[in-house]
Amino acid sequence: MGEPRHSSTTLALMQELALTEEEIARRKAFLEFHDEDVQRLQELGGLAQQYADEVIEDFYRHLLAFDESRRFFTDPAVLARVKAAQRDYFLRLTRGVYDGAYVEDRLRIGVAHERINLPVALYVGAYGFYLRAVLRRVQEAYQHRPAEVLPLFVSLLKVVFLDMGLAIETYLAQRERTIRLQQEAIRELSTPVLPLRERLLLLPLIGAIDAQRAQQLTAQLLHSIRAYRAKVVVMDITGVPAVDSAVANHFIQTVQAARLMGATVIVSGLSPEVAHTLVRIGVDLGMVHTVGTLQDGIEAAERLLGYTVQKLEPPMLVPHPEEGQ
Amino acid sequence: MDGETRVPICRDSDIILARQQGRALAAQLGFSSIDQTLIATAISEVARNILLYARQGEIILRPVSQSEKKGITVIARDEGPGIPDLTLALQNGYSTSNSLGLGLPGAKRLMDEFAIVSEVGKGTTVTMTKWTQ
Repeated sequence: MGEPRHSSTTLALMQELALTEEEIARRKAFLEFHDEDVQRLQELGGLAQQYADEVIEDFYRHLLAFDESRRFFTDPAVLARVKAAQRDYFLRLTRGVYDGAYVEDRLRIGVAHERINLPVALYVGAYGFYLRAVLRRVQEAYQHRPAEVLPLFVSLLKVVFLDMGLAIETYLAQRERTIRLQQEAIRELSTPVLPLRERLLLLPLIGAIDAQRAQQLTAQLLHSIRAYRAKVVVMDITGVPAVDSAVANHFIQTVQAARLMGATVIVSGLSPEVAHTLVRIGVDLGMVHTVGTLQDGIEAAERLLGYTVQKLEPPMLVPHPEEGQ
Repeated sequence: MDGETRVPICRDSDIILARQQGRALAAQLGFSSIDQTLIATAISEVARNILLYARQGEIILRPVSQSEKKGITVIARDEGPGIPDLTLALQNGYSTSNSLGLGLPGAKRLMDEFAIVSEVGKGTTVTMTKWTQ
């Protein structure tokens, strides 16, 4: 299942999961993974060499017997390569060295699994199969010393649980990274600056405003003010669920920056709840031109620009073709 | 509705999560829409302080009751640098981070009860409660 690749991703992951030497030691302590376990695993090492090929054959026979796991091994060349890597992976369990390099190796495998979208249940299930295959062989080899089987197997379990913890955290970390990237993408999509009339821009804000987004939208607005030679901007915050002092501060700074560029900003869409809250916190929006609704905002902007909107009597309704005649 | 909710705060999006959870709990407890916004904003202020000064901590949301009254208690706890001068920190417009300086005093005004305990080098705990009218 494993393929070594991309050590830079793995290193970043080591940092993200804060897998320092101390943290690795803490994890081992929690697993009660001690020196005697290392010795037992080393003792198992010789036997592991002997059964490695057989276990790998059993392991892939099992994986290829199920549709959900077979689909990862459709290419025979890939299968051969993965088999060899998997053999190394298993052998490393009993090599007796469980340091930072070991952990890094385990994370690399986790990253590879995440990339091919290997379900966690398959990973855990396959590991279970491996453990049963090994247990059978250890029991055979120690049939004259049966009392030693359990301690050996328990030591193996400890290191396997160390592995599984790392692998599952790798999955989670990768998913979180994906979510972060998507959030950034949404952020970019969500702040359009719309030219509404000559010299009039509309900036409709939807969703939560955080520091990063506030900075981005200020920058975007300032560019647009220059590009459209805008004089008035209506910033509509109807779709912003919460305005705390930090968000209010962002708004004030945006308004000030726009003013330096020669544009007046009208903030529209303050809900009664938000207005009430801002007054209670003590935010002074005195220097910001605020109006209730988007419509009020656009009307105020038009007045500032000298537009008058006139209603025609009778109204010139354009009939729909099918309703016409 | 009985149990308390804990929201770890270690990045910007956690503030939004804490705020949403707080608003949802306030709605369950029967707070008005305006009060829900006041509570959510107070949570936002203290959560942002955690992020700004301690980098990480947690927000605990707890339903409380006193005879007939129902309320919500919000605890913001961190193990950050602590606040050397609480009087100053509770003053309007005082800020060490170029903000409006309304975070703590603002949160205090939004809630009915407000207590802050801080020890330099140990951390800060803000406990605040709002009661349904």
